[in-house]
Amino acid sequence: MPDIDSKRMPLKVAGRLVVWGSIVAALVPLIFMLITSIKPTGDAQTIPPKWVFVPTLEHYEAVFGGQTSSSQAFLPLLWHSAIVAMCSTALTILVGLPAAYALARVRFKGRHFLATWILSTIMFPPIVAAIPVFIIAGQLQLIDTYPILIIPYTAFNLPLVVWLLRSFIAQIPAEIEDAARVDGCSRIGVLRKIILPLVVPGLAAGATLSLILCWNEFLFALTLTRSDVKTAPVGINEFTGMFGTQWGNLTAASTAIVAPILVMTLVLRRRLISGLTLGAVK
Amino acid sequence: MGWSLVCPAVVILLLMTIAPTIYLLQSSFFSFTLLNPELKRFVGLQNFVQVILDPTIRHGILVTLLFVVLAVGIELIAGLILAVALAPRSLGNTIGSTVLLLPFAVTPVVSALIWRQLLNPNYGWVDYYLQRLGIIGRPIEWLSSAPTAWVAIVGLDVWQWTPFVALILMAGLQGIPKEPQEAAAVDGANAWQTFWHVTLPQLRPFIALAVLLRLVEAFKTFGTVQILTGGGPGRATELINLTLYRIGLQDFQIGAAAALGILFLILLSIIVSQLLQVLGKNTELLE
Repeated sequence: MPDIDSKRMPLKVAGRLVVWGSIVAALVPLIFMLITSIKPTGDAQTIPPKWVFVPTLEHYEAVFGGQTSSSQAFLPLLWHSAIVAMCSTALTILVGLPAAYALARVRFKGRHFLATWILSTIMFPPIVAAIPVFIIAGQLQLIDTYPILIIPYTAFNLPLVVWLLRSFIAQIPAEIEDAARVDGCSRIGVLRKIILPLVVPGLAAGATLSLILCWNEFLFALTLTRSDVKTAPVGINEFTGMFGTQWGNLTAASTAIVAPILVMTLVLRRRLISGLTLGAVK
Repeated sequence: MGWSLVCPAVVILLLMTIAPTIYLLQSSFFSFTLLNPELKRFVGLQNFVQVILDPTIRHGILVTLLFVVLAVGIELIAGLILAVALAPRSLGNTIGSTVLLLPFAVTPVVSALIWRQLLNPNYGWVDYYLQRLGIIGRPIEWLSSAPTAWVAIVGLDVWQWTPFVALILMAGLQGIPKEPQEAAAVDGANAWQTFWHVTLPQLRPFIALAVLLRLVEAFKTFGTVQILTGGGPGRATELINLTLYRIGLQDFQIGAAAALGILFLILLSIIVSQLLQVLGKNTELLE
């Protein structure tokens, strides 16, 4: 029916405009970051903005070589961020998976209450926890150590990860499990040999979300670290020091923070999209 | 069996939610500053009275609610439009949905720093290209006046999170059955009627989920605004999280911060319990 097609034509064009407009809008800040990070110092802050220049890696060398006015070399900060993000994600999965399994499959008293309570802790604002944690960590001499970041990050990501894994597990047919139990497999055996392999896509989604959220966290890292475990998002602020912002160094460091997670996001994009809907869509 | 599997997760969650709440509740009845801990003394409800009577705090709560409503509202509407445009399967849309995953993975601190450079009145791209296009006459000092600072903080949040909303809704659109829409079209409904009366109701669980996740995160906004405006100019963009940070972790007025924190928690619990009910009605996520 050409009639309907011609009516739908303007809608289609509008749809294309929306999509391409959004792609441009999403990319402009990232393109600015990337371009400024490879501009020679003299070309970074000019009017009009320079689009033709000789690319340089001087800012990356300065940032990684520690030759900037910031107080600390940048590479160790990325390392601290990576350790915190990986340990916290491992711990989140380790305690989150059994909890998710129990909430999805085991019938016990208080299950519904627990499930709702765990989900509702998602709203708990970190700043409210930060004040007591700061005081108690000070008394226990835990300021500027790894555990004082890893434990809170785990707590903040647990509700999301438990919820996501729970809905992934709930979608696995119970008959598979029952068959294994009849064949003499223990509950732990079922969890390890049957559930675990089937829930790998959910684990990938949950782990990716947890890694991103830990890597990006700012408030707790700002409050609870000094230099030994200072993370990259806190350290990057030092490039906007009292001598004016060093655009080249700042954007080079920004690129270094953002690049690993952007690559991970692109590689795992299917898993992430299914994770975003808490497993409601496969 | 059930409890032993859940136990480790519950312990960690208790440690970081209920325990801090108890500590704050207890501190809120004392005049207590970390700069002079020996002077800690019981003052009853005085901190709460002070916080409630303080006009800057009331302003902070209003600022927070306005920010959350504006940001999430814009993200929902723009996200819905974008999701509809992205839903048909095509090469452009595959590229689109991939690129749109990027903003929400960008470290918020980094996006705030980049935003500040883009909005720089001397060398920033935004002022320069707006002038070139003839939209503004002379450079705008975005972060120096309240209305433009608001545009900046809401704009940043919309840039970072609209794609997140759009991708959830897009996944929803691709997952819902197509037959009701086709039936409506056969019955002579136009595109808008089909969307409003058929597609939108089908999409409700996904809208509820996206709004819940976004509202919860918007209420926690701290780093981006702290870096972009620092709550300024004056206190024009000081969200309650920034106020709590200033009172508790910069001025170390623990008693006052505790009282404000408890009030904030009560407010959030009311809002979130309502939201969970909406989510429960619209999805199977709560069984």
